[in-house]
Amino acid sequence: MRETRTSAGWGHLLGVLVVAPLLVLPVRAAADVWRAPALLPHELGTRGFDVLASPGTRVGEAVVTSLLVAVVATCVGMLLAWPAARGLAAVPAGARPALVAVLAMPLLVPQFATGTGLTTWFLRLGLADRAAGLVLAHLVYLLPYAVLILAPAFDDRVRRLEEAARTAGAGTLARLRFVTLPAAARPLTVAALLGFLVSWSQYGTSLAVGGGRLTLPVVLLPFVERDPQVAATLSLVFLVPPLVALGVVAAAWRRSSVRP
Amino acid sequence: MTIVLFGGALAGAVRASLQPDPFSGAYTLSAWRSVVTDAAFRDAVAFTLVTTVAATVLSVVLALPVAAALRGRAWARTVAALPVLVPHLLVAILAVLWLGPGGLADRLLGGMPLDVVRSRSGVGIVLVYVAKEVPFLALLLLAAWDDDIAAREEAAAVHGAGPVARFRHVVVPGLRGPLTLGTLVVAAFVFGSFEVPLLVGPTQPDTIATYALRVTRIADLSGRADAAAALLVATAGSVLLAVVAGATVRRHRA
Repeated sequence: MRETRTSAGWGHLLGVLVVAPLLVLPVRAAADVWRAPALLPHELGTRGFDVLASPGTRVGEAVVTSLLVAVVATCVGMLLAWPAARGLAAVPAGARPALVAVLAMPLLVPQFATGTGLTTWFLRLGLADRAAGLVLAHLVYLLPYAVLILAPAFDDRVRRLEEAARTAGAGTLARLRFVTLPAAARPLTVAALLGFLVSWSQYGTSLAVGGGRLTLPVVLLPFVERDPQVAATLSLVFLVPPLVALGVVAAAWRRSSVRP
Repeated sequence: MTIVLFGGALAGAVRASLQPDPFSGAYTLSAWRSVVTDAAFRDAVAFTLVTTVAATVLSVVLALPVAAALRGRAWARTVAALPVLVPHLLVAILAVLWLGPGGLADRLLGGMPLDVVRSRSGVGIVLVYVAKEVPFLALLLLAAWDDDIAAREEAAAVHGAGPVARFRHVVVPGLRGPLTLGTLVVAAFVFGSFEVPLLVGPTQPDTIATYALRVTRIADLSGRADAAAALLVATAGSVLLAVVAGATVRRHRA
């Protein structure tokens, strides 16, 4: 009993440790004047938003690029990861670890290294400074995650269900619509969410490949030293997708723990 | 597709490292020579290795008790998932706002007991990665810490094994797979660290990736080649790490 109570205390402590640091962001974002060593801001206001909205900063453009690239990269990633995951699930179990290792290799390599290497080709192909180049570069990191998450969805159970549907006379589309998609819905959601976040968070690849095409993390970083209020305001924007993802993941966990 | 893009990236880097002057098209090893003989590069390699080892060891040591504390608590698992989803860049920004000069900790304490942000020791980088990777490792461990391990713990307890003995002889061997995998991933992340040291790391020494960025920005065509050579060293390091981890797992299975 005592052990349970101590570990509940640890859980609370962890919660505080995780959430409390984030609270500085809204305060810093709303603090127009906040000189050291005061613990509370002197003046509250919307200067952070005003600076972001001014045309010189190119922040709006960067947010749109980030969103566009993340959405396109996620969609393309899912379309490519789907057949790859099916293929991986069909590979004999003995050969799978080696294949997974090859697939996961890019995740271990520094993003700036991949980006710099790709840039030498993209310059020739006319993809540097383009959103398409950013999408391709982000796919290097998005695809391995997507395939690894989706592969377990296509286990024997799903294949047996598809086989049964085929025997019952269901066509390819009907099988996809009524058997495969519902069975793979949850891993597909998780893979898409994570894929979006992987693209959204990319810094090294975007800096190397993007050139004049800025993304949100690339415009955010210089503000941290130049103007912390603007950096905090942008960080709040940057934080929205992870929070949405957390909500979805939490809901999924709750559902799975309620089920028998 | 991954292999094409990734292989292409590596090939592009190799080519760039061998061709410092794209106009003449001649291949030389001059970039490799200049990088290897650069003292700043050697400092960067040493600094990267030290921060990688420190951040990885600390993360693993802390993740085990955190995972133990989180067992059977769905809401705590959700809380722990947040740092995993938040980008490294954002965690580094939080570190600057809290722990940097004039940051909240500075104001609360009336002066920092030690420099964290921009410290030459790299403590800021280590701290950001520990904060980010402990929850990641804890979740990875929790996923594998199943009823089977719990049952074996119970059996060991019945036979009189204390908490430490149970942990050492039952839990750790049971979690060896995810522990090795997680350690590898964390080490690779820190080894390639880029935006984190740009924000909380010292100006000198660099990590390998920030060294590459710095030489790229030198307004000279050879900078790109030097950067590519440096980044290939980092890539080789990551791959070597993966091979060692793979061999370790295989040996334990055999």
